[in-house]
Amino acid sequence: MAEQIEATTLIEAVQLFLAELEPDLKGRRAFHAKVAQNALAIVARELAQDPQAREQALLAGVTGHGAPLDRQRAELCAQLRAGTMGQGTPGLVDALLEVAIAKCAVDNPRYATLKRLGRSATA
Amino acid sequence: MAMPTPGDVAALIGADVTRVEQLSGGASSATFAVDAVKADGRLWPLILQCAATGSVPEGGLPRADQARLQQLAFAAGLPVAEVVRVLEPGDRLGEGFIMARLPGEALAPKWLKSPDFAPARTVLTRQCAEVLARLHAMPLNAAAGLALPSGSTAQSLERMFANYRRFGVDSPVFDLAFAWLRERVVDRPAGHIVHGDFRSGNLLVAPDGLVAVLDWELAHLGDGHEDLGWLCCNSWRFGVWDKPVGGFGERDALYAAYEAAGGGAVDRDRAHFWEVWGTLKWGIACLQLGDDHVSGRLRSVERAAIGRRVSEVELDLMHMLKFGSV
Repeated sequence: MAEQIEATTLIEAVQLFLAELEPDLKGRRAFHAKVAQNALAIVARELAQDPQAREQALLAGVTGHGAPLDRQRAELCAQLRAGTMGQGTPGLVDALLEVAIAKCAVDNPRYATLKRLGRSATA
Repeated sequence: MAMPTPGDVAALIGADVTRVEQLSGGASSATFAVDAVKADGRLWPLILQCAATGSVPEGGLPRADQARLQQLAFAAGLPVAEVVRVLEPGDRLGEGFIMARLPGEALAPKWLKSPDFAPARTVLTRQCAEVLARLHAMPLNAAAGLALPSGSTAQSLERMFANYRRFGVDSPVFDLAFAWLRERVVDRPAGHIVHGDFRSGNLLVAPDGLVAVLDWELAHLGDGHEDLGWLCCNSWRFGVWDKPVGGFGERDALYAAYEAAGGGAVDRDRAHFWEVWGTLKWGIACLQLGDDHVSGRLRSVERAAIGRRVSEVELDLMHMLKFGSV
């Protein structure tokens, strides 16, 4: 254990706190407490899975250089807008599909399309 | 905007009102359930929808015109809540209208999954096809005088792109989808009255079938195939992904029933084009909702979390581009 209280431990603690509050909340606040717990679950998965690193590596395979993720995204978007890249660009569709899978697995691992691809958390 | 009292509403409709209860709403618009009683003693359940004047988004449909379009659809025999009264400036409740409150289930996840609604699910594809066929067969001059937004398909695509660019987000998936749409867009002039938000979440359903089509506020003039594509977007299937029509039906059955009901020939590629379009449009709506939080316009954990639904849309778009459909 690197630290007694790691970031994931804090997330769990706040999730526990929100669950304690729930019986006292009604209506919009009860709903938002559930959304907040879900948001923390996204953060926990993002810390564990690091989808940005995966995205950066996948996009680098298309652009051919290892710039930071924001620049990779901006460059691909600029080329797609200019028409100098498109569906026929070698590796682009497969890379973007893998990026989308990695992001969705963090944001909503139960999403139907992940299940369909055999890539949900439980698959 | 002050909460309307039973007396306020009674004065508008000329009948006794026993209850006005807010169902939903924020700072700029609200929906109220109204219990009224007709002169002969019969209960008269109503809905009051109102919005602060000026809250209609730019290029959107003014609520009075939305109400008039609903009246037109009702008069044409479509399943729509009858509009009872359109608000006027002197009513001091902003823009809005009062319509019939019909019995039925509006929560799509419930009517899509509950065994009680199994009979409805067997007829809904045909019923939706018939509504759309009849709506799209209405002559454009039926809506003359209504401020229905209009534009060619290419103009609408460029408007959607400009909307995406407002948020300063770089999504290679969204840009690839825009490129895909631009390659295929056929610049048709607006030829139909389009509902604009025809999806399972906007259907009021009884155990035996469709009761009413709700939420006409995104109605516009355009290509009727837009409604066919939007109805099939994966986001409105609520997890029932193997039933592409709203989570309850098959595309072939939808198209056949649409043609049989006089909607005209369905071009499958064009319907698919609009399904890709609709998926992208929902993704940009997620960006917009996330931006409500980021910009400070409406800071809320719910808005921030919806912003993360962009990745569902990106996955659906890539599934369509890679495998041809989702």
